[in-house]
Amino acid sequence: MLGPVRIQIEDFSSDDELAALRAGSQRIGGIATFIGCARDFSEGREVSRISFDAYGSMALAEMNRLRDEAIEKFSLLDTRLVHRVGSVGAGEQIVLIATGAEHRAPALEACHWLIDELKQRVPIWKKEITPQGDAWVTPHP
Amino acid sequence: MIRILFFGPVAEQVAVREMQLEFHAGMRLMDVASHLQARYAEAFRLVSFIAVNSLQTKDMQLGLSDGDEIAFMAKFSGG
Repeated sequence: MLGPVRIQIEDFSSDDELAALRAGSQRIGGIATFIGCARDFSEGREVSRISFDAYGSMALAEMNRLRDEAIEKFSLLDTRLVHRVGSVGAGEQIVLIATGAEHRAPALEACHWLIDELKQRVPIWKKEITPQGDAWVTPHP
Repeated sequence: MIRILFFGPVAEQVAVREMQLEFHAGMRLMDVASHLQARYAEAFRLVSFIAVNSLQTKDMQLGLSDGDEIAFMAKFSGG
């Protein structure tokens, strides 16, 4: 069984992640998921791939902190966070967040909170690869 | 030695991902940042966050120890 918090080059299976989440507790009454994907456009340009760089050890530590905080803050039964690095093709999956709680509201709220916090706190950078050239992405406020 | 790390857009500007600086007693984060900023001004225009040993800090007076690892980082854009 893969760990609940991972940074990896290879793609992930959302079915496997949800199965692992469900297997952890039969008290789970609601699971919320967010899957971020690589768009094939950005600000009017075609995007063929997105390249991700990360400060791996710090990113993993921060994602583990986020998991602990989310479990505490939303009384989750468990949560899983997976982020890819390296080269991701247009249309492919980038990030998965899955939250399990006794009821749907905390699962949904925690999922939203986690992706917002991940974007602000986890040291990962993306570069869009386009026919017109490559460009690092400036985060939106 | 102090290990310096760069990632993403900052690494691209500096043209290396890692370098080392000689440690000396009394060295502060500001000393390292000022030294590198003078050499890599373009890259440091992108720097928004600094981490010492994987923990973010804004304390430029922070005293350093031999073997510390410092990362100068642009705004994050994962997810």
